[in-house]
Amino acid sequence: MINVQNLTKSYADLRRGEFVALDSISFTASPGEIFGLLGPNGAGKTSALRILSTMLRPSRGTVSVCGFDVVDDAEEVRRRIGFVSNNTAVYDRMTAWEMVEYFGRLHGLQQAELQDRMHAIFTRLQMDEIRDVLGAKMSTGMKQKVSIARALVHDPPVLIFDEATSGLDVLVARSLLKTVSDLRDHGKCIIFSTHIMREAERLCDHVAIMHHGRILANGLLAELHQQYQEDDLEELFFQLLSHHDELPLSPTG
Amino acid sequence: MKMNWANVRLVLRREVKDQLRDRRTLFTMLVLPLLLYPLLGATFVQISQFMQEHPTRIRVLGAADLPVAPKLLDGERFDAAVCSESINRLLELTIDETVPADVQARGVREVAEQEIRAGKFDAVVYVPPSFGEQLDRFREQLVEYRQRNATEDFELQVPEPEIFVNSASDKSRIAYDRVNEILRGWREGIVRENLVKSNIPAAATEPFKLTGIDVSEEVRRRAAIWSKILPFVVLIWALTGAFQPAVDMCAGEKERGTLETLLSSPVRRVEIVWGKMLTVMMFSLGTAVLNLLSMGATGTFIMGQMENLATVSPTMQFGPPPVAAMCWLLLALVPAAALFSALSLAIAAFARSSKEGQYYLMPLLLVTLPLMLLPMLPAAELDMGTSLMPITGLMLLLPTPMAAQYAEAGLYALPVVGVTMLGCLLSIRWAIDQFNNESVLFRESEQWSLRLWFQHVLKTRQATPTFAAAMLCGILILLIRFFGGFVFPTVTSWGQMAWVTTFSQLVMIVVPAVGLTYLLTRSPRQTLLLAMPKPLSLPAAVLLAIFLHPAFLWMGEGIKHVYPISEDALTQLEPLSAALASASLWSVLLVIAVVPAICEELAFRGFILSGLRSAGHRWRALVISSFLFGITHSILQQSISAFVVGLVIGYIAMQTGSILPGMLYHFTHNALAVLLSRLTPEHLGEYPFLRAFFRAAADGQAILYDWGTVFLSAAAAAILLYWLRSHQPRPAVATQPESHAAVQVT
Repeated sequence: MINVQNLTKSYADLRRGEFVALDSISFTASPGEIFGLLGPNGAGKTSALRILSTMLRPSRGTVSVCGFDVVDDAEEVRRRIGFVSNNTAVYDRMTAWEMVEYFGRLHGLQQAELQDRMHAIFTRLQMDEIRDVLGAKMSTGMKQKVSIARALVHDPPVLIFDEATSGLDVLVARSLLKTVSDLRDHGKCIIFSTHIMREAERLCDHVAIMHHGRILANGLLAELHQQYQEDDLEELFFQLLSHHDELPLSPTG
Repeated sequence: MKMNWANVRLVLRREVKDQLRDRRTLFTMLVLPLLLYPLLGATFVQISQFMQEHPTRIRVLGAADLPVAPKLLDGERFDAAVCSESINRLLELTIDETVPADVQARGVREVAEQEIRAGKFDAVVYVPPSFGEQLDRFREQLVEYRQRNATEDFELQVPEPEIFVNSASDKSRIAYDRVNEILRGWREGIVRENLVKSNIPAAATEPFKLTGIDVSEEVRRRAAIWSKILPFVVLIWALTGAFQPAVDMCAGEKERGTLETLLSSPVRRVEIVWGKMLTVMMFSLGTAVLNLLSMGATGTFIMGQMENLATVSPTMQFGPPPVAAMCWLLLALVPAAALFSALSLAIAAFARSSKEGQYYLMPLLLVTLPLMLLPMLPAAELDMGTSLMPITGLMLLLPTPMAAQYAEAGLYALPVVGVTMLGCLLSIRWAIDQFNNESVLFRESEQWSLRLWFQHVLKTRQATPTFAAAMLCGILILLIRFFGGFVFPTVTSWGQMAWVTTFSQLVMIVVPAVGLTYLLTRSPRQTLLLAMPKPLSLPAAVLLAIFLHPAFLWMGEGIKHVYPISEDALTQLEPLSAALASASLWSVLLVIAVVPAICEELAFRGFILSGLRSAGHRWRALVISSFLFGITHSILQQSISAFVVGLVIGYIAMQTGSILPGMLYHFTHNALAVLLSRLTPEHLGEYPFLRAFFRAAADGQAILYDWGTVFLSAAAAAILLYWLRSHQPRPAVATQPESHAAVQVT
């Protein structure tokens, strides 16, 4: 469903010169699975997910979503994904209902179908009270719900959550995790990036640990536990990172 | 580019709704115009009423010295014979029969100055001592003079009354105007009386009247006045109305994080840009129209008020703008609003935050304001040149249909509309490019310093310059030439001219180009096209220059016909031509043909064309480099010719991959011009074979190519150009792998 091969992304940066945000990473994710992208801040998670959602173009390597290339068929890719991130805010001067409706329309949904689906989503996410509330008046939790509703309105096969729980209180975060795991049970392919290991442990089937633009470990959660002889994911993560930082820096391509 | 208009409509509808819910937009678009003009108008009426109604206080010093007849004062006020009742009512007189001792001690001037400044009086009239007596003596002498039929002139000094005024104060100026008019009227009365006493009829002072008759129709007069003011005001509002929403919709969305939400939906970036651009345009139009309406309504109301006051001079009464004029203005507003919207959008897309966006309004105004102000100059006229300037052309075109000169409007409508459309399209393209540019969309504030940036530029330089570097070089050359023009002395002799020309070619053209080559590129060879071409291309270039020269000369004549060289320019050129004619042929060829061929080619076909080509578009690079080449020639007529020559040489350089054929072409072209200037019709007589190619010009001074020569050689040139089309450059000797990368850099 999602296939990332040797993806490299570099930016020109005044201070650092050519800055490599992603260094030849590869991974695949399948339907009915939550793929966790774990890493500290600045590991390159956001760059990778922005490329998946076609907002950035890869410098090298190939990325395909549902068989469509993110460069050549960017629009087809966007039709098949729902993208929720810290950076995808809701409009201040639109109500929850208008916001979701707008994106439904942009996805080409017809009026009747759109109305049905919106009613279903608003009920499922318990958003009926905030239906007519303007974005500017919403709490962080409400906004996050609207974002999820917006990402689900066209019923995409792929959902991408980039640090979606950051800034949420415990209750809202829990309910978001519940929603994500429900979506997996409905057969969606989900990419979930986070730096909170407990979330990943609870939620993900498959994880990739990223650091400095590279994937240090990649596999089923159980496999990783076994491979590194460590039951605690946070401990495992920490060991991997510190091990990597101690290594002499190998020349990068 | 494929576009789904349904998506554009969706974006447009959302943005409009969003903006209408924004209080700031509503304020600038709706509230401000509705309040601004009535407020301004009310203030204006208040002030003008104040000016009319406010009584002025005048002190008259030494009233006892006034003559008995004709009477100036009648008790505490001016005499009814010299001052109407309505004016008299506005004057408060303080009369001192004699100048008080303290005033005399301090001096009248000083006292007047002090009292006016302190606001005690608005003006002081001083009647000098024995003024009345002297005036009476003057009159007696006049009568006596008449009686003895004398012819000699006679002199008698009558002391001058003085009016003290402080022209820095409005009230004082008004007081002066009123008193001055009364005193003039009074003096005229004295003149008339004198004439009567001398047995000359009073009519002798004014044997006839001068009457100015305005032949314009009242409506056209109104249109002419309004057509100067309205377009400017309306365009300013169109720009302001475009900029605020544009910043909110681009930079604001980036700031609020909603842009990324939108980008993750299937809508294409080009659709987003069009949707936003149309929204901005709607608000731009809306703001301008509302301002126009509010201003029109207020203006009409005020004019009515002013007419009621009836004291305003007739030229002030111009009434509301004619309806037809308003319709034309609205029609012209559409392309202007489109242009402003696209520009604002592109600029706003570049900004990271609304705050940064606001900073860009000032530079945008600085660029567009002169274009809007130029048409308001009294001398500004619609011609081919001004019609090709964006905004200016549009504003100059506007008065023509407003004043119903349709024929003229039709003539220039095409270039004006063309330039405006081109401007719109380029701006929209720019905005779309911005939306496709990752570094603009996801730009985060990074630490910027000149040193870091410069290091970065040096570190990332390619074999050939970038597009931006090429433009920088072009602009640098233009600036150096502009400022250098002030430094160099006006040349009077050939020696000076040769020196100045060579020096300026070297310093102003070669130094920037070669300097930038070493600074900003890694391969001077590739940048300056320092490669040997295929041998045949060298004679081909010379032949092409010879074959095209007649056509260029003919084109030059045509250009001079359309845009005649001004008398001033001709006088300025005269010493140069004289100096040229006096010099030896070899030195002239060296300075006029060899030096520019080397210097200008290195810069324009070397650095600039190479850099422009790195952006990918061959033809665009060719046109821009030729344009830059053209405008470095200071006289417009030369610039146009140079532009076309630049196109040909640029094409040769691109086809042969070498600077040399272009240099040869340039040399031959200039050398032919020099040689031709040395030929006179007498030579045609001396050397009959010349007559096969040339004919004497109509003025008998110079010689021209024969028509047959022009056409035949143009045909030969076409064949050569066709041959050049299939010409492949020799593979560059030192091809570096980076050279491919250089072509892709945008």
